[in-house]
Amino acid sequence: MNKHTDAWQILHVPDKPPIPPGQQPTVNVLASVIEPKIANTLVRRLNQIAPLENLRHVKRVQKKYLEGGKTQLAVILCLACENDNQLDSMQHDVREIVNAYRLSAFITKVSKSAASSKEEWEEQCKLWPTSYHPPTYNIDGITGFSEEDSQLVFSFMRFAVELAKSDDGLMVNAAVIVDPSVKQVIASARDEICSWNTCNNKSSIQTSSSQQLEVCITRSISNVVTDDSLLSKASTNELGRFTGVSCLYPWRWAEQQLSSPNSCYWHPLRHAALVAIESSAARDRLLFHGSREIEDKSFDMEHKSPSTGSPAKRQKLNMKNVEDHAKLDTLAEGNSSVSARPYLCTGYDIYLVWEPCTMCAMALVHQRIRRIFYAFTNPNAGALGSVHRLQGEKSLNHHYAVFRVLLPEEVMV
Amino acid sequence: MESPGEDFSPDTLAFMELALEQAKLALDSLEVPVGCVIVEDGKVIASGRNRTTETRNASRHAEMEAVDVLLKDWQKNGLSKLEVAKKFSKCHLYVTCEPCIMCAAALSILGVKEVYYGCTNDKFGGCGSILPLHLGCSEPLKSDGIPQGKGFKCIRGIMASEAVSLLRTFYEQGNPNAPKPHRPLTHQATH
Repeated sequence: MNKHTDAWQILHVPDKPPIPPGQQPTVNVLASVIEPKIANTLVRRLNQIAPLENLRHVKRVQKKYLEGGKTQLAVILCLACENDNQLDSMQHDVREIVNAYRLSAFITKVSKSAASSKEEWEEQCKLWPTSYHPPTYNIDGITGFSEEDSQLVFSFMRFAVELAKSDDGLMVNAAVIVDPSVKQVIASARDEICSWNTCNNKSSIQTSSSQQLEVCITRSISNVVTDDSLLSKASTNELGRFTGVSCLYPWRWAEQQLSSPNSCYWHPLRHAALVAIESSAARDRLLFHGSREIEDKSFDMEHKSPSTGSPAKRQKLNMKNVEDHAKLDTLAEGNSSVSARPYLCTGYDIYLVWEPCTMCAMALVHQRIRRIFYAFTNPNAGALGSVHRLQGEKSLNHHYAVFRVLLPEEVMV
Repeated sequence: MESPGEDFSPDTLAFMELALEQAKLALDSLEVPVGCVIVEDGKVIASGRNRTTETRNASRHAEMEAVDVLLKDWQKNGLSKLEVAKKFSKCHLYVTCEPCIMCAAALSILGVKEVYYGCTNDKFGGCGSILPLHLGCSEPLKSDGIPQGKGFKCIRGIMASEAVSLLRTFYEQGNPNAPKPHRPLTHQATH
């Protein structure tokens, strides 16, 4: 199967926009070549009198390898003044050091901000060495995916793409929420802005397992779909194929035609991600309905357990009710997630065909999704790197990791 | 939070009073106390309050609840999409706390006219605090005619201290729904 999946790729979408090589902002500093034996003393002294306050990522000392196996050390003395190529603007105590050790100062450039990716860091070190700290939050995948994990990601994305297709060849956005610890689909949904059948809550419970998805991934594959080829195709020979994608055209709902007769409600905000969140919340209420909440009519189990008894007993009774429910048999059987109620979607992943709009991306923050995978960027309204970048908004109380999954072209056909 | 209460019209204060009533209902149900009303032609046509705990759906903010009421009502009355869009463009929203990024984006999608809010939302605010989604897009149409984000007028600081005091009450009694590492929470709006 591996040879078929060569064209699939997973790319991390970082918290900050990537900076093109050679365009990273720099600042000027005064530096000098020094004798290795005075390095320690000098660095200690300089850190006291001229600390590099806003340049903590910049290393004070540069070690250069010269021809013949020799090394040369250079140290940053202090910041150079703005627009000032003269060396005489040096502060008094730094000048004293320069004189005492007979240093010859020169102006050089260092990177202004810490690198946000390994590529940026390598670029920075060409100027002057800096330190690089990969994101400290512990989310699997930021430092790469194992072969097994990659295959899972691809099969869930394949599932999302299939879900996004319609019989008439048009596409909508689709969302698949997955519990990666048990490799299970928790909820899946399509955009429902044109047809929202309020009576149909049956589709809320999805029990697909990864095994069922594996068949999806076995077609042959040639070149990778990039956004350029996809969108140019959309604007020429496949004009309008993607106009039904809610997150791509969130403000266009009033112009869109109803896809089905008046028996259905429509709703401008029922984007796939929001519908999937709703489904996962419904599943949560079904599986873990506590004693305190008010029950949603459409999910009333009709087997209310007595409110007396210990919480543990009540939990057990509720679980029995769940088991009675035919649709949930597969969920309750040997499913470790049943024993511990998750807090919202903590620990879950979501697969989306298109990068979510701002509304959907923020809803996924609220619902505590752990990782987001999307296949195509959303230049109109995307909030994970295109227009906004919510994964990098420091004030938010939750941060997910974002990945883009490149697909082979055949997948979209 | 600027502007003392007397700067606002009696109508504005009365509508915010109704939004605060909704927030109190949320508090009584152990929900983060945020409430709202939607007003058309000087009449309240919908109200909503936070239901995130009850639904276990963290997107069920007061604004989303109220919007759902309207969409159901209007479609029951046989309004077309264009008529509904026109209705929204006449609506004023009164909400006790600055709409979050999700709700502000939703209000832009729906195309509401004006938003009046109480306290600011320093963590999630989508009407200036974190993102200025109320400003919309400077160019309403892309070169290819695709409509971009619509803006809406924002008026803030209406009965802000009342809104904050409800939130404070909630967080002082502890949010039973919060994940463990986050407790105890600071006195900030987390709606």
